[in-house]
Amino acid sequence: MHKSGKYSLSLKKYRDFFVEFYTPLCLFANKYLDNLELSRDLVQDVFLKIWEDKIEFRGEEHIKSFLYVSVRNKCLDHLKSKRHLTTDALDDKTIEKLEGEAYFLREVVVQEASGIVEKAINTLPEQCARVVRLSLQSLTNAEIAEEMGVSINTVKTQKKIAYKRLRPLLDKYYILLLSIALWGNA
Amino acid sequence: MSNIKEIIALSKRIAASLLGDKKPISLEETELFSELDKQYILEHLTDERRIRERLEQKEHINPEEDWKKLRSKMEVPVRKLRLWRYAAAAVLLLGLTTSYIFRDTLFYSSEPTPMVRIEAGTDKATLTLEGGEEVVLEKGAVYQSENARSNGDRIVYGEMSGDREVPTEGEEIAYNYLTIPRGGQFYVLLSDSTGVWLNSESRLKYPVHFAKGEPREVELEYGEAYFDVSPASKHGNSTFQVKTRGQLVEVLGTEFNIKAYRDEERVKTTLAEGKVTVSNGTLKETITPGQQSVVEITTGALEVRNVSVAQEIAWKNGMFIFDNMSLERITTILSRWYNIEVKFEDDTKKDIVFSGALSRSESVNTLLNKIERIGCVSFQLSEKTLIVK
Repeated sequence: MHKSGKYSLSLKKYRDFFVEFYTPLCLFANKYLDNLELSRDLVQDVFLKIWEDKIEFRGEEHIKSFLYVSVRNKCLDHLKSKRHLTTDALDDKTIEKLEGEAYFLREVVVQEASGIVEKAINTLPEQCARVVRLSLQSLTNAEIAEEMGVSINTVKTQKKIAYKRLRPLLDKYYILLLSIALWGNA
Repeated sequence: MSNIKEIIALSKRIAASLLGDKKPISLEETELFSELDKQYILEHLTDERRIRERLEQKEHINPEEDWKKLRSKMEVPVRKLRLWRYAAAAVLLLGLTTSYIFRDTLFYSSEPTPMVRIEAGTDKATLTLEGGEEVVLEKGAVYQSENARSNGDRIVYGEMSGDREVPTEGEEIAYNYLTIPRGGQFYVLLSDSTGVWLNSESRLKYPVHFAKGEPREVELEYGEAYFDVSPASKHGNSTFQVKTRGQLVEVLGTEFNIKAYRDEERVKTTLAEGKVTVSNGTLKETITPGQQSVVEITTGALEVRNVSVAQEIAWKNGMFIFDNMSLERITTILSRWYNIEVKFEDDTKKDIVFSGALSRSESVNTLLNKIERIGCVSFQLSEKTLIVK
């Protein structure tokens, strides 16, 4: 994190960066605050700081650890702030749980894995996507077939199509993240 | 935070297992979490209620709206103009001046040409068959084949003898093309009963029959089209997909307009009814009635905004509706329907905005007179060129 004259983050890249990470971070913040409105405000503050301090990133892990940790700290600060204590006080035990490393890591995994799953499914044609969604919920092929009113063979075919299409897309997803990770050094 | 690397890798492995319909072994085996936390994670990824809860929360987050809020708080440095930019601007200015002088002498030395009359466009199209054979469809031209028939203002596909509703398995699917010239429009009823209105300067590629059990795919190669899609429920849940330059629209059954002209860098999809998803390969958006998605071909951006549907689809109902539209956009729209070229003698006139509803069946002269009467602009029509003064 340093300020330099060579800083190259354009407004457009910054906006793309915002669009990519904003929603999952709000959902993540909400796990601490249980208040979506407030979560949105605090996450915007974190993004504003990145712009104002011209923070540069090196790699996907660096971006993500910065974002998740900053948002968590912001949330905990808010929960512990005087204002919050007087209006909507949480007991010590809850605060302790929210401050714990396990809670943090658990919520990061949920956001990260959900994000990948949703992005992947969204690239599939509707029928294919439905099969994968239902299969994710541990439904058997027969149950999926019944739910969708199609034959078991159709379910199987759609699954095959889905897995064939998802392979390269998952790979592409990694490349996309990599390119976002690289702009800081451009 | 050294754990984060491990956590990200673990998340990817879990997601990949779930998507691949496999047990998330990496989650089961990790020592980073207690059994209780592992259960919590799996539940949040696979339980229907949890997934729905997440989607509902997502709907309450609007990145576009919040971006505007954030943007208003940001200080954006003003870039200094580099010297070459001044130079470029100077050259541009010089170029403008000379062309003005040149044009002035040109216009004042010649006698004003009398106004030519240009009538409205008509129903016409060229049908290209699988083998490349071309058939002109227009008023008075009746066409009939094994798959389709046309009376001159529309072409209807489907079982001509009643026994060919569904193509046999493994049959090669034949494609037809409908090309609409400038000054033309046409209607096609596809074999699945989806109706498509095609505007001037457009080209649609579609199969003569749709393959059973597969998405119904057509391609708007360029131009503008309004789709009234026959619901998926009538076709074994097969979605209807429209490909255009830079985007894919996927629907179950609904009405929408796509504008993808070759000389425009944007593809606009406007929804009249139902729900469609628009994707451009990397981004995907769902739009609801009254909304329009805009895909920027060059940047790959995908934005959704609210628009006046009546204005966007007026052409299909035989109207032009201009709601605070710039003269430049209005004349572009007129140029396609009346097959004329437009030249602005005074570029500042391009930004004048007009509002009004006009009929597409009138001659261009009638329309121009109406616009002239509102003021600040005059038109001169010669041959196929409209000059805006």
